[in-house]
Amino acid sequence: MREIIAAFVTQFLVKGQFAVLLYFLAVNGWYLVLLVSSLLELRRHMLLIADESRHLLLSSTLSPTISILAPAYNEEATIETDGSKDRTVQVLIEKFDLVPVKTIYERNIQTKLVRSLYRSSTYPGLVVVDKENGGKADALNVGLSFARGELVCAMDADTLIEADGLQRMVRPFLYSTDVVATGGTIRVVNGSLVKHGRVQKTAVPSHLLAGIQVVEYLRAFLFGRLGWNRLGGNIIISGAFGLFQREAVLQAGGYLHDTVGEDMELVVRLKRLSYERGGPGKIAFVPDPVAWTEVPETTKVLGRQRDRWHRGLADVLWRHRRMLFNPRYGVTGLFVYPYYAFVELLAPVIEAVGLVSLVLGLALGVVDWNFAGLFYLTAYGLGTALTAFTLILEDLSFHRYNTFRDRALLFWWALLENMGYRQLTVYWRVRGLWRFLRGRKEWGTMERKGFRPVTAPS
Amino acid sequence: MVSERLLNIIMLIEVALLALAVSLFFLHGVWLHLTARRMDRLSKTGRESLARLVMRGIVNVEDIEVLKNLPPDVQNITVLEISRSLSGAGKERLRFVAQQVGVVDRARALCQHRRWTHRLRGARILSGLDIPDPLVLKLLADRHPAVRAQAAEWAAAQPSVEVISAMLELLADPATQARFAVQNALLRMGNVIAGPLSTFLETHSDRAAGAGLRVAESVAEPRFLTSALRLSHAENIGVREAAAKLLGAIAGAEAAARLVEMLADSDSHVRAAAASALGRMHYWQAGSQLAERLRDPRWRVRREAGLALRAIGAPGTLLLRRALKGDDRFAADMAQQVLDLPEAAAG
Repeated sequence: MREIIAAFVTQFLVKGQFAVLLYFLAVNGWYLVLLVSSLLELRRHMLLIADESRHLLLSSTLSPTISILAPAYNEEATIETDGSKDRTVQVLIEKFDLVPVKTIYERNIQTKLVRSLYRSSTYPGLVVVDKENGGKADALNVGLSFARGELVCAMDADTLIEADGLQRMVRPFLYSTDVVATGGTIRVVNGSLVKHGRVQKTAVPSHLLAGIQVVEYLRAFLFGRLGWNRLGGNIIISGAFGLFQREAVLQAGGYLHDTVGEDMELVVRLKRLSYERGGPGKIAFVPDPVAWTEVPETTKVLGRQRDRWHRGLADVLWRHRRMLFNPRYGVTGLFVYPYYAFVELLAPVIEAVGLVSLVLGLALGVVDWNFAGLFYLTAYGLGTALTAFTLILEDLSFHRYNTFRDRALLFWWALLENMGYRQLTVYWRVRGLWRFLRGRKEWGTMERKGFRPVTAPS
Repeated sequence: MVSERLLNIIMLIEVALLALAVSLFFLHGVWLHLTARRMDRLSKTGRESLARLVMRGIVNVEDIEVLKNLPPDVQNITVLEISRSLSGAGKERLRFVAQQVGVVDRARALCQHRRWTHRLRGARILSGLDIPDPLVLKLLADRHPAVRAQAAEWAAAQPSVEVISAMLELLADPATQARFAVQNALLRMGNVIAGPLSTFLETHSDRAAGAGLRVAESVAEPRFLTSALRLSHAENIGVREAAAKLLGAIAGAEAAARLVEMLADSDSHVRAAAASALGRMHYWQAGSQLAERLRDPRWRVRREAGLALRAIGAPGTLLLRRALKGDDRFAADMAQQVLDLPEAAAG
């Protein structure tokens, strides 16, 4: 039996190894293109925003109005650190001095029952809708119905948007009538000093999982999404921080309930409808508005999150599969969608196959340790170099991490990412894909720690 | 099997790339640190000299010399940061200092540069200083939308006939991506734009007219009435909607009569805007027509009609109560919701 497996693995390694390596190089080669694209885009953007005065936006009666939608479920730790469960509304009532109100709203989209409505006496702009739990998409749809702004900002309740984040996000809408949605950068708040709902001092977390996620987020936003801006447009806007034309979202039917990737699904649908019906369809990523979010610090929660993200990605791509290589959908159908299908979705499968074969090869003595090590380092080396270049991009543009400690930590996490962490994410993503194929659609629970005033190292 | 030699070559390239990236990352950090320290020191000196020159109003040659000796970037930064909090005589003195130091000449040269990023920078400096330079006026017709938008921002502080007419032409430019900047600048110019804008509205009826109407609504001069009435018949829905809003802002019997007609417009956005405008005017004579709109098939029209009825006072409240007992359940539902609203939320 052992001989048969060994023969099979040998054959596979001989024939498949080259393909796996080629795949790695091709993917990283494409990342290189994205990196160059984002470098050019970032340079253009930095020149565009240098010395700009955004105060005019605030004072103008012509500025588009924005409603912020923040679905909250089991978020009492974020709002106030009392640690109890399912008291979100009670905590809100106490914290923001809410009083029950009545208002007129259109039930544009079918949603779960709205129980009551409150307005804050302290902050009159704050309206809280208490409704039956129907998931995030359902809550956002209720928010869309209550919202009055021309634009709606969908965010997570545990996200901290920087003071001028919305002013920065709104710019593409002012410069082009073709823009339907914009997304900003999400950064990791773990390890930073938070006071009064604002990040006072940024710092790279010393916690392994949180630290590696800082590097991951920088790479995803600074060269992933920014690069696509120039190469044909994005199809992802983070659910934690996105700005949409309210009317366009309502016309598209709002957020879908039966998917775990409701944020990406909406963006892809808006893009798709713009090709099918005409109308605005540009999805712009703006790098300078920043929202800070808490990332998981345990493998259990992180695994659930990555599993869910990958199920969401698979679900969205499956729902809109007719776009694949369809010239009717322009660049999105011919380039962007295939990239997400063949690189983002299938990469963990290829990577898993490569890793498993390598381990089997070692176990069966088909591959020697030196060769395995060399193969492993070659496959992940370019990715590490690209991540290091992303750190330079951050440094050239926004340089939020200024101290030597932060730089050293960032580089350290970039190196460590491929030594176990990445393989774990491969496992979680493959599991997500498997679960998608089996039809699982639950969210899983995110454990909130809340933004405690953590003292950042000096 | 992939040959070890090939793997070694790839590996070497990757290591070289990684080493390059790491060196750049840390060297850039050192450079940033040193630059920040230098800039802090120079900016402090520049700010102190500039504050003495601008606040005290005494032309001190030594301070001018100190500013002249600063690097151009530091000069620009110090001048622009103080310009935001100055107006009147203080700004006049700042302009003088900027001229003496060479900031203005440099900005003018930048405005003529072939690269749009330089022209944008030049326009930003001259806008910050509110310098009435014809070079920026030319930039209103620049190829790049960001430069045009910046020139429009500059124009807000230069409300001459020539500038206003150039700005209005930008409203008519279908390709402009700087429409917001233009509209906003026109608005900031104040009532001085009323005459030229009125003439503009008389001669346009396309999307540009819609953009003009939105500016006119904020100025709300009676002289826009004729154009608003004409444009309320335009083919473009957005233009008709904007005309309804302008009519509501101007008010008067003629405007009200046309708004009542517009309650029967084929588009729901226009009907809703007309209902809202009548409520804004507290035009109680339109009560029965507004009550009729409570039966409108579109929710937004029913909502605006309900709120307008509430806004016109007792007659409107009476009509809302009647709708409660009517045969149309949508009208009754909306009437109920409006009547349930607390006093502060009505209208």
